[in-house]
Amino acid sequence: MLARDGPDEDWVRRAQTGDRKAFSELVRRHQKSVYRYLLRMLSSHDDAMELTQEAFIKAWQALPQWRPEAQFRTWLFRIANNAAFDALRHRKLIEFVPLEDSFDAPGSEPDPAHQAQVTQEVRQLDVSLKKLAPEHRQILLLREVEEMSYEEIGSVLSLNEGTVKSRLARARAALIEIRARSRS
Amino acid sequence: MSSAEKCPRTEAISALVDDELADPARAALDAHVQGCAICAPVLAEFRQLHTTFAALPDVTPNVDFAFLVDRRIAAAGVPTPKPKPQRWRWWQLAPATLGGALSLSLGVYLGGTLMLGSQITAQPAALQMAAFTAIPPGALCPALQACNSMGR
Repeated sequence: MLARDGPDEDWVRRAQTGDRKAFSELVRRHQKSVYRYLLRMLSSHDDAMELTQEAFIKAWQALPQWRPEAQFRTWLFRIANNAAFDALRHRKLIEFVPLEDSFDAPGSEPDPAHQAQVTQEVRQLDVSLKKLAPEHRQILLLREVEEMSYEEIGSVLSLNEGTVKSRLARARAALIEIRARSRS
Repeated sequence: MSSAEKCPRTEAISALVDDELADPARAALDAHVQGCAICAPVLAEFRQLHTTFAALPDVTPNVDFAFLVDRRIAAAGVPTPKPKPQRWRWWQLAPATLGGALSLSLGVYLGGTLMLGSQITAQPAALQMAAFTAIPPGALCPALQACNSMGR
């Protein structure tokens, strides 16, 4: 019997033998971050819902190829990221439909003026992210939202750490440029 | 042109914000940025961006994907992952080959021991067949040539 809080790798080994319950445990652990990433990449709740399921089904089919040297999380994100890019290419989603009510800023800030400013900043960021090139958006989301290290991002995107470093800097510069243009 | 585009240290500043810069370089960049009119605004902008990202509301799916995925796997008959068949490796046959060779050697040895123990010595084929000739063993020879031709 595996511990619920045990490492992913133990559950993956069990799922590799065809244990669907073990795989369901892995899905529960990672569904939130995969869905969040796909939602922000595609800006569509329906697409994110569909692609999250597809990503997990592809992961199930590809389980025999998983090796313990790879973190399950980054391996899964590589599958999800490929699914997102396939969808973007296939559906030619260059300009995204804005996300509406689900992207309101959290209301924990007591100062109303500051709260309004934060809300404004977050909305602006959300709009600017959609205008960003998908390659820049993906790397910023992996770093800033999923909090992955350069090594982990490199593993997801099949890039060396030097390229991750330079692409992140360019992505940040591009995002700041877009925000500055939208302000003026 | 934005300050990030003007700054020659954008990459290093970006790594500094991410805490991915090794210590000697980090200290040197920190010291430089404090007195640089081009780098300082870039660091401030990158840090502000980091703060705004942190303020993005969390997104939680309102469905249990584990249930949906499992149902789809079961319904569509998505094949259960099966480990790849292992590649044949010659050295995997080594124990069987060794065992076979030992068994064969043991058989030959035991066979030889039995033969020696029974004191059976090989006789010429003609002598062995002599029992089936018309002249019974011990009988007189009708002619010397006939006996000689039979080896008696």
